[in-house]
Amino acid sequence: MHTSREPILPWWAAGILLGLVMTLAVAVKKPLGVSTQFVVANGAILKEAASDYVDGHDMLKQAKYHTPGYGWWFDIGLFVAASATAVLVGKFKPRATCEWARANGSVRKRLILSFIGGFILLFGTRLAGGCTSGQFASGWAQLSLSVVPFTVAMFAFGMLAARIFFPKTPGVSEGA
Amino acid sequence: MLSQMQILALGVGGVFGMALIVAELADPDRIIGTLRLKDFHAMRTIAMFVLTSMVGVWVLSQVGLAHLSIKPAVMTPVAVGGSLLGFGFGMTGFCPGTGLACAAAGRGDAWISVAGMFLGALAFIVLWPFIVPQLSDVWNYGQTTLPEFTGSPSWWWVGGFVGLGGLVLFVTRPRRK
Repeated sequence: MHTSREPILPWWAAGILLGLVMTLAVAVKKPLGVSTQFVVANGAILKEAASDYVDGHDMLKQAKYHTPGYGWWFDIGLFVAASATAVLVGKFKPRATCEWARANGSVRKRLILSFIGGFILLFGTRLAGGCTSGQFASGWAQLSLSVVPFTVAMFAFGMLAARIFFPKTPGVSEGA
Repeated sequence: MLSQMQILALGVGGVFGMALIVAELADPDRIIGTLRLKDFHAMRTIAMFVLTSMVGVWVLSQVGLAHLSIKPAVMTPVAVGGSLLGFGFGMTGFCPGTGLACAAAGRGDAWISVAGMFLGALAFIVLWPFIVPQLSDVWNYGQTTLPEFTGSPSWWWVGGFVGLGGLVLFVTRPRRK
């Protein structure tokens, strides 16, 4: 198909690798999860800048939401290793857009949508109690009940938004 | 010096970051292509990820080595939050983990998106007292799993998903031309 470039790993190897990482994470400490640290980063700053607010906030006053811990170092490891790996496999490249975005608008539009989308998705993630790692992948790994409504909602709205914002397929027959 | 906890966290986070790049989930074109049903590589990767995790975590829990953390099934915030997450996911091709990994791979749009995520977290903190405690009291099944909820053994679920999922992945596998 025109959209699929030659992948680094076959799909089954890539999936098994990720599944083994999940298994390792559960063996070591807890299931994979990324998004809580966005709250922790804000919480740590607020703790310095406005500790009265933090102390009066029933979520934020809990130490795990304003003190960097395991999850914080996990995200740092993720970032550093992703960067090093991208360099090693030739995927590191400074750029401001992607093929789907280029086929559907300007770089400026891409950056505005990226910002708004990031805002919406992190807000939603915390409301749902986890992201694609912490709710979706970890949820299926543990067969949690919460993963069922989460998965349906996430993919339904993900497909809807992708259709709204990226109607044109990049590559060969553009506009066809 | 780093503590043992920090080293462990850096290590597990590190292998995840590495895997997100080589599995190409940290790639907005793959994600948008998947949500537009045009690119089946990432979808198959995600399915294989889920099935492998299910088996791995099930084995760990059978031998008593699993550190589980079941999220409470609070249906309203999970469904509403999942919808918002999905919408942002389809708008950008990023999620929190792949957004960080994409930023690390030099993508400026991912840096902008991560900045949006940071502000989204702040908005969540500010609005939390007005929404979350209220929503948590209704339609909440607690930290339950599908086997507990249905009163069935966990191996039925794992076996069923792996059997059915494996069959679908096998039958629909891409063939070399």
